[in-house]
Amino acid sequence: MDTNPALNRYMDRYFDYPGHWDSPSKCGLKLATRKDGKILAIATEIYRQNPGTPVTEVVASLATRVMKASGAAYVNFIFIEHTPDLGSKLTFYGETFDQVDFDHQDGILSNPVWTRLSREQVDQMMEE
Amino acid sequence: MKFKLIYPRWQKLEGQTIFNLPPHGPVVMAAALPEHVEIDFTDENVEDLIIDDSADLVGISMMLTTQVKRGWEIADQYRALGKKVIFGGISTMLHAEETMLHADSVFLGEVEGRMEQVFADFHKNDMKKVYNFLSKPPDLNLVGPANRSILKKDLYYHKGFRMVDLFHASRGCIYDCYPCAVRYLGGRGFRPRPIDRVVEELSGMDNNRLFIVDNSLALDTQWEKDLFKAMIPLKKKWVSHTIEDKNEVLDLAAQAGAWYVYQAVFDTSDYIRNRVKQYHDYGIAVEGTILLGLDNQTEDDIKRLIDFLLEIDLDLAEFTVLAPFPHTKAYSDLLKQNRIFDKDWNHYNAGKVVYYPKHMTPERLGELFQYAWDTFYKDEPQTMKMFNLINKVMSRELADGTYTPRRRDIANLSFGKKITDNA
Repeated sequence: MDTNPALNRYMDRYFDYPGHWDSPSKCGLKLATRKDGKILAIATEIYRQNPGTPVTEVVASLATRVMKASGAAYVNFIFIEHTPDLGSKLTFYGETFDQVDFDHQDGILSNPVWTRLSREQVDQMMEE
Repeated sequence: MKFKLIYPRWQKLEGQTIFNLPPHGPVVMAAALPEHVEIDFTDENVEDLIIDDSADLVGISMMLTTQVKRGWEIADQYRALGKKVIFGGISTMLHAEETMLHADSVFLGEVEGRMEQVFADFHKNDMKKVYNFLSKPPDLNLVGPANRSILKKDLYYHKGFRMVDLFHASRGCIYDCYPCAVRYLGGRGFRPRPIDRVVEELSGMDNNRLFIVDNSLALDTQWEKDLFKAMIPLKKKWVSHTIEDKNEVLDLAAQAGAWYVYQAVFDTSDYIRNRVKQYHDYGIAVEGTILLGLDNQTEDDIKRLIDFLLEIDLDLAEFTVLAPFPHTKAYSDLLKQNRIFDKDWNHYNAGKVVYYPKHMTPERLGELFQYAWDTFYKDEPQTMKMFNLINKVMSRELADGTYTPRRRDIANLSFGKKITDNA
């Protein structure tokens, strides 16, 4: 798969997930273990390389899968949604990071709430 | 086997010229039905719907988000009579989870080669709650001519003038445009129909004026050139979305009957100015489609954009405010920022503001939307600009012998209803 080099800083693998109506979907993923032992997950929207549902639309079920795959407990799991800069002159395709917080019950995440972060904040969170 | 197919009505934007075009989804769906199915179609936008128990199965075809609530209402009434109801179409796919609450079955995806299974299941009283073919588009060789015989054609005339018929030559799109859901609906690939099948369908259409509803005619240069070359002998006149900006493509498009295009005007750049001029150089008129309320637009930007539209000699302009339809990047972005305040789908008509714009209040954006329409059409009303476009196509039709006079016998009717005022 061709990748945009700009994606690589915040993704070190691809992650497959079922999108709407089980459509095969794919995102970029980075799992970082922080100094405090928490798992920081960054899911990157890869646009045309994602054949299915965008990250945002199924973020709760995707984050649940990532949390399980990482082996992290809910209290030690931080999830960030990343859209890379596509180099478009349209502002809608610039880089964004959002920390996503969820309700949690029986290992299932729900009710996402997004909080915008700067790249610097994300870098700092990866180092903590 | 009687199948009642319904296209629900929706509320048109206030103050704008109403044109009811013959719908496309139902005629495409009708072409894919098994032969034993007898179809009775009602387009609620041009005729009244009588709900009774005469049909064996009811289908509701929905294109717009502003149709879904009415579609659900119709379904609820049929189901109260004990009738099974299946939904399909673009806005069924956009609102599938909610639609399931009002349906015995929802069909997601494209219909060709799938309807035999659906109707066989119905006969076995074993319809599936969801027929999901979103990730399995059919072979486009299976897509034959749409079945326009289901339409009551006399209802699609205004003062004796026939509306354009809708037609498609390709599906899908490679782009991921901010307000658009085609990525979800039609897949991320461009899927052109075989040219011979396109010509087969066009040759059988009795309407000389068409709207080619493809998402874009700027996705595959060679296919576009082959398509337009094949269309030249048919002498059709047509409207479409964007046509690729290569001179050889535009030249062939003009020869193939390109009448006018819907061209997105998103800024005041020389690129847009030259794009419009380039169309005009080939005799192709331009209706600008202008989306207001994007995050990069301040109030001054919107006013400057409207001034620009007047400078570049657009033939028509259509203004809309951003409507964050589900399964678009616009929806995702605004959802993340908690900026969508209105989830009444009847308000998603691209004329009402349902979210908090970045640089102004929703009310101010609503005012600027009205200002845009009023300002652009201040010196020459929309009806007059449309009349000019009609005159252009009539001249071309008279020149190549394809002109059909308007029908005097229904000149006092507008979409099947008697004209009672000076509309």
